Amino acid sequence: MGDLLGNLALGFGTVLQVVPVEVPGLGPVPLPMNVVLCFVGCLVGTLIGVLPGVGPVATIAMLLPITFKFDPTGALIMLAGIYYGAQYGGSTTAILVNIPGEATSVVTTLDGHQMARQGRAGVALGIAAIGSFVAGCAATVLIAALGAPLTRLALVFGPAEYFSLMVMGLVFAVVLARGSILKAVAMILLGILLSTVGADLETGQERMTFGLPFLSDGIDFAVLAMGLFGIAEILRNLDQTESRDVVRQAIGRLLPGRDDLRQSSLPILRGTAIGAVLGILPGNGAVLGPFASYTLEKRIARDPSRFGNGAIEGVAGPESANNAGAQTSFIPLLTLGIPPNAVMALMVGAMTIHGIVPGPQVMTKNAGLFWGMIASMWVGNVMLLIINLPLIGLWVRLLKVPYRLMFPAILLLCCVGIYSINSLPTDILFIGLFGVVGYGLIRLDFEPAPLLLGFVLGRLMEENLRRALLLSRGEMSTFLERPISAGLLLVAVAMLVVALLPSIRRGRDEVFVE
Amino acid sequence: MHNSAKAGSDNRPGSQGGSAMPAGSDRHARGPVRGPRSLVGGLLLVGLAALALTLTRDLGQGTLRSMGPGMVPRALAIGLGLCGLVLVGIGLVRRGHPLDRLPLRGPVVILLAITAFALTIRPFPLGDVATPGLGLLGAGPLTVVVGGFASPEARLRENLALGLGLTAFAMLLFGDLLNLPIPMFPEAWAALFPAGWSQDGRVRVTAGLLAGLAAALLLAGPRREAARADVAGRSGGA
Repeated sequence: MGDLLGNLALGFGTVLQVVPVEVPGLGPVPLPMNVVLCFVGCLVGTLIGVLPGVGPVATIAMLLPITFKFDPTGALIMLAGIYYGAQYGGSTTAILVNIPGEATSVVTTLDGHQMARQGRAGVALGIAAIGSFVAGCAATVLIAALGAPLTRLALVFGPAEYFSLMVMGLVFAVVLARGSILKAVAMILLGILLSTVGADLETGQERMTFGLPFLSDGIDFAVLAMGLFGIAEILRNLDQTESRDVVRQAIGRLLPGRDDLRQSSLPILRGTAIGAVLGILPGNGAVLGPFASYTLEKRIARDPSRFGNGAIEGVAGPESANNAGAQTSFIPLLTLGIPPNAVMALMVGAMTIHGIVPGPQVMTKNAGLFWGMIASMWVGNVMLLIINLPLIGLWVRLLKVPYRLMFPAILLLCCVGIYSINSLPTDILFIGLFGVVGYGLIRLDFEPAPLLLGFVLGRLMEENLRRALLLSRGEMSTFLERPISAGLLLVAVAMLVVALLPSIRRGRDEVFVE
Repeated sequence: MHNSAKAGSDNRPGSQGGSAMPAGSDRHARGPVRGPRSLVGGLLLVGLAALALTLTRDLGQGTLRSMGPGMVPRALAIGLGLCGLVLVGIGLVRRGHPLDRLPLRGPVVILLAITAFALTIRPFPLGDVATPGLGLLGAGPLTVVVGGFASPEARLRENLALGLGLTAFAMLLFGDLLNLPIPMFPEAWAALFPAGWSQDGRVRVTAGLLAGLAAALLLAGPRREAARADVAGRSGGA
């Protein structure tokens, strides 16, 4: 406990640190740079969360070059702010326009938009912000508490355990993916296959590079992510005719009344717990949190028929869950060095730019960065509360920007962003290529998210597989003989079997349909 | 299988989630192919697997104890190919989604815009000749104006103003504030400034000119459009 407090103190010290910054015309001015960056991150995150069609993956990929300019702590604080800020912003769009600004705010449209239609938009927005804030605070404490023990666990992990853990993560991703399980498996295999492009780890032989020199280092993750989530997303959105139904009623008062608070306090706590636990799972468990929370609230409600007609619990629970999940998904990255989703993989990119290898050693070698990032999440949550509620009017105005003016801006920022990472015009051509390929895959009902996760984990998986088999002298049984590894694989197999059982499959479909 | 594809952005009004299925699948039910979308998806996977197997043909397989560079990619390609074959089988047996008509305008125009940016941001060698390096000054507005036409609702004046405004913004953010190594403008443009000027000063003046030009374009146009593009300029601040 004393350790925890000491570490948090170090974290807050890092966040609130004042550094002299050269301001043109004024000379050096002392500024809390990390707080400023946290604010910028939260603001940008809220903005892209509000705008449907721009997600955190593409935005963070676009802004990755910014990390060249700042020290790694500040850069990661900003990027993290974008990610959880987007969860806040996404709910605004869900409530006011009935369009989920982010995938995690899908369920919020159900009751949130109904509340808005009844003239209670302000209360819905208020309870979403309060729920997110409570969840954010709880998740911050959880990360701080779990950080040290999980890091110790990671130190006993060998290559076999790492490999099995990643297999489990990918199985989770398959189970959680929308649509056909077979197609999700195919996308993961394709993602891992793409990660093997480039020079072989041990022999240095070129693999599948077509003899092109810029492919010998492999495909750049930022390029793939921006193609699949920036460009392909533009193309997907261009197909859809726009019909935005911005609520015309007054937004009303923002602060929930005493009855509202009483009704939503328990759902907020339950949502926080569900979201936090699911968020830790590798394989992007955070997406499932809001669905699980909504289903639970509806099941235990005294009068389930209120759900879908503006029940405040249907906003409070899922909104808390998505924010808790967004934050606890940092845990696998910070403690084990394994990115559980595409955003975290971009964080790995930002860390490696500065020569920090993600993994258990970050906590000891870069203690300031580790605890600073955790403390910044709490600071960020306070800021989001401030950004969100008074600025609602501005976000509503932004929602009226037609898509035909929005997508050229995204296009240009993608081009400029990707060019400034490596100064390679071929990178720009590749985001176009991956964008069109990704669009084709989407049209054929393949989801790009599992592909990206397979790509993220692919190289680490191959490395650990080869090392594990080298240590075991080629015996595949090593994965089953080592207890931790066997346990992880068992969980993976069980999940897969459960997902394939016909009765559960129907249930799974229902969850996604709800 | 298909009703689970409901979450996320598919939930938007006007999405094509599964709406085309009932009417379309009857049309395609003739012949041996019952689920054309699965069939095409499967064939694509088989093709990719075949490509990967061809490319890794010459790489050593190695043993489990000491794997060669070819083992993992080859195993993955075989797995991918098997998934593809199963999908092809499903497409032949089970009734499924028809193929939608692929809209060409979006992908073609967006690719064109991206290629234009890649070729003009700095000189790009194409055989004996090279494309002119226009820097952000040229590549930015070009990309926005061309790319904007991916939407059938595009208007030239609006796109031009948007392109100039966004380029000014990108110059200030990436060039002036963050000092990223992006070519800002061609040599000839830099030479127009008095010799004593710093690079930052030139960037700022150029951005100011672009923003002024964008504003002039908007003011010259009909009022209604001006108000909209004004809001859009701010959204570019993302």
